[in-house]
Amino acid sequence: MGKAQVAGSVVAGFPSPAEQYLEPPLDLNELLVRRPAATYFVRVKGDSMIGAGIHDKDLLVVDRSLTPADGDVVIAAVDGEFTVKTLRIFMGKGERGKGAARRFVLEPANPRFRSIEINPGHELVMFGKVTAVIHRL
Amino acid sequence: MVGLVDGNNFFVSCERVVNPKLNGRPVAVLSNNDGCCVARSNEFKALGIKMGTPYYQLKDREFPKGDLVFCSSNYELYGDLSRRIVSILRDEALDVEQYSIDEAFIWPPKRSPDDLFAYGRRLRAKILQWVGIPCGIGFAPTKTLAKIANHIGKKRPEGVFVLPDDPAEILASIPADEVWGVGRRLPVKLRAERILSAKDLRDAPDDVIRSVGGVTLLRTAMELRGKPCLMNENGGADPDSITCSRSFGEQVTTKDALMESIANFTAQAATKLRRHGLLASGCNVYAQVVTAGMFEGGFSGWADNFHGYTVMFPQPTDATNVMLRTIREGFDALFMPGARYRKSGIMFFGLEKAGGAFQADLFVPAEKREASPLYRTIDALNAKLGRTKVFSAAEGIGKRSWKMRRAMLSPRATTNWAELLVVK
Repeated sequence: MGKAQVAGSVVAGFPSPAEQYLEPPLDLNELLVRRPAATYFVRVKGDSMIGAGIHDKDLLVVDRSLTPADGDVVIAAVDGEFTVKTLRIFMGKGERGKGAARRFVLEPANPRFRSIEINPGHELVMFGKVTAVIHRL
Repeated sequence: MVGLVDGNNFFVSCERVVNPKLNGRPVAVLSNNDGCCVARSNEFKALGIKMGTPYYQLKDREFPKGDLVFCSSNYELYGDLSRRIVSILRDEALDVEQYSIDEAFIWPPKRSPDDLFAYGRRLRAKILQWVGIPCGIGFAPTKTLAKIANHIGKKRPEGVFVLPDDPAEILASIPADEVWGVGRRLPVKLRAERILSAKDLRDAPDDVIRSVGGVTLLRTAMELRGKPCLMNENGGADPDSITCSRSFGEQVTTKDALMESIANFTAQAATKLRRHGLLASGCNVYAQVVTAGMFEGGFSGWADNFHGYTVMFPQPTDATNVMLRTIREGFDALFMPGARYRKSGIMFFGLEKAGGAFQADLFVPAEKREASPLYRTIDALNAKLGRTKVFSAAEGIGKRSWKMRRAMLSPRATTNWAELLVVK
């Protein structure tokens, strides 16, 4: 089991007096990618989410480790097609808690597009929650 | 206890992450040059098509339940998702030994069977949510037994199985030649000694076992008895990936030292590769950094972070210099000034037998392998514009026989900016 071994060599010279004050440069990954193992980038096509500040050709940061909740912007595959929309979860009438029938709707942020109701006949695969939009000017 | 985690139909599951349309359909992933089936979905297996069936025998055949779907092997994608899974395992386990692109042994922090089972289920759920890959997990006292536990776990709805203290009944149901590490030539000899099941092998006298399969088989028998004998990669047969990694004696902080360690491991792993007479299509390079968790919320403690990248060689190769040239190109992006490195490593994947199908490579002009400044510019342009939009006339406009054929390649959605998933 993983015994430590010396690999290669580290050159030991005069340490620079400034070295201990050196900080790594700011890295956008640190800001935008909280969990690299769960983070995916996807490209937007179209303007169905323009009202949420998501434009055609924008880059989205998607974190799969976050379980999407009502009101989150999500990436989902409906019948195999990936889409970005706002997730709406409605509880069934008079039901609460675990096992209650829930209804899922994927809502666009553009009046020219229709909401997608997820019916029992549809296959919905939740890909992840969108955590950032990268928009080039 | 040791655990074995492996991705179910791993390559197919990776394809399904980037293309949900493949869910529920019979899907197979093809070997290099679209040769034969190397991974099959359950639906594909149910049609009775065997592993290794050549693509040309299948492409025009009709099946009653919808068309077969074939994918070229997208090692960039598989390598990247494999790297993600291993980094999750490293967060959750005391130690991890990646055995192949889709298998890793883990040493779990839990001891009691109930705890292990719950731990396994949580781990499986995490990998499924974070990466999108369903895994099978098996726990047992030794690697050989963990392999068996994994096989059982994979077939259960929970995906997890902890081998009971007395596994006699289970071992009796497993043919001896299906035990990990028992070679394909042994069954006849084993049968002559009436060693038919894994249990028979476990319970046979040491001198009989040694006379049949030498010390290697005795080691396997010891493992079946619950005494760990396999500490390092020791599968026996041709591996489907080759790895080399080490923790450093002292933390490494300079670029040269880190590259030197990676070059060392590459050379070591390439030696192993040549010993098996194999060529590698590409590799994962990774380095473990000790970092302060700094997020928007502020400092959140110290953590080990895995950074890595996946590269494909110009063609399957066993030449260390060719590999290093490719690996070095991605290295600048990996290295972070100021970071402290604890460990680095390399894993070759997409292994194939040397010679044979790649005779044409002998005619590749030597300069094609040079990474000249011109080629770097062309590569950069191609990365932006899509694959091979720009190439020199010398490469020919027609079919390039030296280039791997991947006619049904899915997007390299996690390693190439030009091929990200598109969402509408």
